[in-house]
Amino acid sequence: MTIKILNALIAVVGGVLGAIALYYLLNKLAELLPGRWEDRVKPYLYLLPALAAIGLYLVYPTFQTIVYSFANAQSTEFVGVDNYVNLLSSPSFQSTLFNTFLWILLAPAGTIVIGLLIATLADRLRPRGEKLSKTLIFLPLAIGGVSAGAIWRFVYAANPPNQEQVGLLNGIVTGFGGEPVNWLQLSDFRFNSLLLMVMLLWMQAGFAMVLLSAAIKGVPTETLEAARLDGAGEASVFFRIVIPQIRTTIITVFITVLIGVLKTFDIVYVMTNGNFNTNVIAVDFYNQLFTNNNAGYAAAIVVMLLIIMIPVLVFQVRQFRAEEAAR
Amino acid sequence: MRTRSSLTASATLGAVAVLTAGCLSEGGGGGGGNENTSSTIELMYGFTGQQSDDFIAVVKPWAEENDITINFAPTPDFNSLIVTRVQGNQLPDIAIFPQPGIMKSIAERDVLADLSDVLDVGDLEANMVPGMLEAGQGDDGTQYAVLMSSNIKNPVYYPLKAADAVGLDQPPQTQEELLALTDKIAATGTTPWCFGIEAAAATGWPATDWVESLMLINYGEDVYDQWVNHEIPFNDPQVLEVLNQMEELLLAEGRVSGGRESVAANNFGTAGNVMFDDPPGCYMYRQGNFLAQPGFFPDEIVANLDSEVGVFPLPGTDPESKPVLGGGDMASLFSADNEAAQKVMEYLTSTEFQDAAIAQSESYLAPRSDADSSGYDSETSRNFATIQNEATVWRFDGSDQMPGEVGTGSFWREMTAWIAGDQDAQTTLDNIENSWPA
Repeated sequence: MTIKILNALIAVVGGVLGAIALYYLLNKLAELLPGRWEDRVKPYLYLLPALAAIGLYLVYPTFQTIVYSFANAQSTEFVGVDNYVNLLSSPSFQSTLFNTFLWILLAPAGTIVIGLLIATLADRLRPRGEKLSKTLIFLPLAIGGVSAGAIWRFVYAANPPNQEQVGLLNGIVTGFGGEPVNWLQLSDFRFNSLLLMVMLLWMQAGFAMVLLSAAIKGVPTETLEAARLDGAGEASVFFRIVIPQIRTTIITVFITVLIGVLKTFDIVYVMTNGNFNTNVIAVDFYNQLFTNNNAGYAAAIVVMLLIIMIPVLVFQVRQFRAEEAAR
Repeated sequence: MRTRSSLTASATLGAVAVLTAGCLSEGGGGGGGNENTSSTIELMYGFTGQQSDDFIAVVKPWAEENDITINFAPTPDFNSLIVTRVQGNQLPDIAIFPQPGIMKSIAERDVLADLSDVLDVGDLEANMVPGMLEAGQGDDGTQYAVLMSSNIKNPVYYPLKAADAVGLDQPPQTQEELLALTDKIAATGTTPWCFGIEAAAATGWPATDWVESLMLINYGEDVYDQWVNHEIPFNDPQVLEVLNQMEELLLAEGRVSGGRESVAANNFGTAGNVMFDDPPGCYMYRQGNFLAQPGFFPDEIVANLDSEVGVFPLPGTDPESKPVLGGGDMASLFSADNEAAQKVMEYLTSTEFQDAAIAQSESYLAPRSDADSSGYDSETSRNFATIQNEATVWRFDGSDQMPGEVGTGSFWREMTAWIAGDQDAQTTLDNIENSWPA
């Protein structure tokens, strides 16, 4: 224990002092340069540690991963595009990709719709009711994916028909005289994947609600009043006045949730471990690397994930620039 | 000149800053390694909690008496840790492996001692059931490890109080009788079997024990070994036959409590509990001997274990054949020349240790058949020992010996899909075969 505390102290003190010493030396170094060169070079020298860190911890591993994705399971020999070909031609990986696309398609959009709905409705409550309902809906955001799994396990739990049902849904079903349903095994139309997405909505709706609610409150009341005076109904006020004015917030929320969805791991891992046709790309990656010890497949999977991510990131950066320009 | 020296200095300092910020660690923990000649040795193993406490409670007093200091190093992440430590040449003196597969891959690096130089192998062979000592041997027959605790996977539990009514007071002696008994119970309108394979992220493993048991029972140890070592394909017709047999015995309409659809959602630890309902929801549940420990059966059953729960082994093809599928923890020696470590190895494989462990622990099963059975705290535990010690052949759990891709990956996953009814038996076996690493 003492050695751990000492280690931590040394790391903190050493890290801070090291950083000060580093920048001091870099500064001295720049000062050695003649006149104008000092000013030209200095910014780059100051950027150097950050760039080096990004290079070491982000760029280098990315390239290493891309290289490994063309190598065998032990990363000892190149196998060309075999990893990609084998993965993409295996029915189970195709199903995994399909599920991932379903998540991308439905979960962020669902989060926006629910978040908007709650934000709009809560906006009409009296202040106390609004605070209470928003707090309750925001609460699950503070719950981690694995804990959410522990909670939702009790919602979807299915015991054999001759045992008592501990699951909420099956409690209701059998309460009305029905037979218990194995919810998480209903893979027709990927219904079980939808049930897992509900968990994500439960966790993320609060986040969407807070941002969207703030945006809705920021919509100038004059525009709403003007629309109402001109005879617009509540629906057209909402869709034609409010929505366009909070568009940027919607996009921000959408992209944040989308990136979260692409990384979805804990929910699926805890609930089904990808069984019953619910596998998604992040769980498959984990299983390839840690169960199958296949670094080649694992690397190929994350490279594909990266490729899926890139358009989203490009869109986000563009959107950000457009917003900046509009200001 | 001045420029260069400050450049070097700053580069060095920068590197040092980066390194010290992230790379401090606790060091090697002392002891350890092949060159250790002291009487302080490190003993690494993968079981934790109560099991580890019981183990220490038995071994520590003995070590003190013999002037040996043992650093007990339990870790729940044994497999990856031992590989890392062997790669980094940070060897413990003794390691207790939970699986022969990982032990064999480490033996290939020439870091494990040949135990025939240290232990009386003849004595062990005479006092262990056939196959048990061999489980710790490398492919060339070198004895790298010896079981110091064991378990069995083939007990079938049944409710004692309801047993007479269906003829379970005379447990089946052959597979044929088992099938006949199953038919007889099914004819009364009650499902004969309980079955559950849900285990969170490890869902599916209880199904693999069934397949392995039936492989061993039907075809004997030679075919079993060939199958486990992939000398015959995983989707060999004989394996398909086993899955069909499982389907007939266990999964067909009216066979399993709750129906086949419920098996994949039914937790393995509690799946058997309906057998204690009145009337019983099922009469038989096959599961490892760990199930008799507290925490699985209802509390009032555990409190009266011997008067509530009966146990019989999955029978062989004829009354004389009694194959047993088992598992256990195997001790291996890294510090071949360390006398203290050698002594510990002798102790762990002796009746002295195993008798003490029987008395200390509720869950311990002694691999030596000459261990003192009277020490077990229940008749049920004694039955487990009898089942094990009467084995005509003993084999280590096959999925623990297969490569991780299969043994903890596709075998679990595909069995789950098959039992849930998502795919047929042939597809299941083909998928597993395709996942076997080249």
